[in-house]
Amino acid sequence: MTPKRVVVVGGGTGGTILANKMVSLLRSETSEGKAEVHLFADSTEHVFSPGNLDIAFRGMVPASFRRREAALLNRRVVLHETAVNRIDLMNRTILYDSKVLNYDYLVLATGSVARPDVIEGLKEASHNFHTGQEDARKTWEALSRFSKGKLVVLTNIPHKCPPSPVEAVFLVEELMRERGLRDKVEIYYATPYTRAYPAPAIADVVEPLMEKRGIRLYNMFNTDYVDTKLRKVYSIEGEELEFDMLITVPPHRGADIVFRSEIGDAEGWIPTDRETMRYSNSDDVYVVGDATNIPISKSGVVAHLEAIVAAENITSDYFGTGKVYCYTGRINCPLELGGNRAVFVSATYEKPPTRQKPSEMKYLMKRTFASIYWEMLKGRLDPLFDLYFGKPYRVRVVEH
Amino acid sequence: MRRLVDARGSYCPGPLTELIKTYRNAELGDEIELLATDPAAKSDVSAWAKKSGNELVELKDEQGYFKIVVKVVRKGR
Ligand SMILES: Cc1cc2nc3c(=O)[nH]c(=O)nc-3n(C[C@H](O)[C@H](O)[C@H](O)COP(=O)(O)OP(=O)(O)OC[C@H]3O[C@@H](n4cnc5c(N)ncnc54)[C@H](O)[C@@H]3O)c2cc1C
Repeated sequence: MTPKRVVVVGGGTGGTILANKMVSLLRSETSEGKAEVHLFADSTEHVFSPGNLDIAFRGMVPASFRRREAALLNRRVVLHETAVNRIDLMNRTILYDSKVLNYDYLVLATGSVARPDVIEGLKEASHNFHTGQEDARKTWEALSRFSKGKLVVLTNIPHKCPPSPVEAVFLVEELMRERGLRDKVEIYYATPYTRAYPAPAIADVVEPLMEKRGIRLYNMFNTDYVDTKLRKVYSIEGEELEFDMLITVPPHRGADIVFRSEIGDAEGWIPTDRETMRYSNSDDVYVVGDATNIPISKSGVVAHLEAIVAAENITSDYFGTGKVYCYTGRINCPLELGGNRAVFVSATYEKPPTRQKPSEMKYLMKRTFASIYWEMLKGRLDPLFDLYFGKPYRVRVVEH
Repeated sequence: MRRLVDARGSYCPGPLTELIKTYRNAELGDEIELLATDPAAKSDVSAWAKKSGNELVELKDEQGYFKIVVKVVRKGR
């Protein structure tokens, strides 16, 4: 009998968690050779992306936020350290290194890509901490040289990790104060939203703090283009902002392979059922994490919970149990406010985020997260999370 | 052309993100129909349409959600 094959594309947060969860749910099947779980990762190293904030704004060393992907996977996962070139849903195959591999179940966990190049002038004029560790390091170096003038933190949508630009501006402000340069630097925060943070309950906490720290807010500012000579950024709403240093969170797009395989929308987001994580109406293709077109925050937490839901649904289909696992839309993103304080942005598909008081406890929880991330990828902490938050899904039973 | 955007259940980053994503890919004269459950959507979209010079065509309470229609009459440069 040929083994049934689960193929996962993308070895980031979602893909790694999913592959590990998959071999644990299909434990006896994989050991008896009835099932195989393959993971394709286009990099040998796994980066903890939230660390980019520490690299760019605290000068921390990039290497401390990287691990070898192979060391994070259960040994029963078959790892291919190579990029997938094309996905062929009609023939249920993927193509890589001029080879073809059939799948019984396919999971797309190809993430999102920060693309400063899609807005005129933005790539040339800006510093980025969403485009990788190296650019985050360059942002730190540029900040180290910056001593006076206008510093603009500019957000563009869509982007992953909704809190990250707000965190960036608070950390920059703190840095300038610590260096004794605060009175020589004007700090601006420009955002596409009507307020400093999209969710009103969180903006109620963020806006007074921005005012207190002298951060000037430009809301409803959607970048049209950047004039690199005049050093000005223009919005489609008709405003302009002058800068001496521009730090941006660029608009994001889906991964290249989504465009190449023609499986996404105009921006490369893959159509996905927001509860079951199934691709369109198929029952053998799943999508998790940043790659989906679901209007939910693109975050590691979401990728994690969606990976659990997809793994449960594949297992259920594999054994024909008739159970359908439905994601509740739970999000839980830390937002650091400088001064060792943080809040958590928590919501579901049914409940908007609620107002909270910033605390040092929440800040410490965020810091701890950096060290438990690697264990979390292996699924060892899921029982603890379930105990604290409850399951991230509801179960429906479908009659055959 | 009418473009439908279903942002029901989205609170963070919320319906305005979906609207602006669609707006950027739309043509002058297109209408964007946004469905949302986020109570902030109504005032957010109205404020944004006003500031960006686009037209708020419809703002309606449906059962359990809002329907908001914006006509694209202005785009950036
Ligand atoms: C500065 C910053 C701060 C953040 N802070 C937080 C936070 O505090 N909390 C939080 O929850 N989230 C945070 N995030 C967001 C989080 O990192 C992402 O949302 C999360 O990594 C998404 O997981 P994913 O698996 O969907 O995508 P990724 O982790 O990006 O993984 C996708 C992987 O697929 C690979 N891939 C793409 N195409 C192919 C191909 N053809 N073949 C093989 N592999 C391919 C990519 O190279 C990548 O490794 C932050 C992000 C940034 C940048």
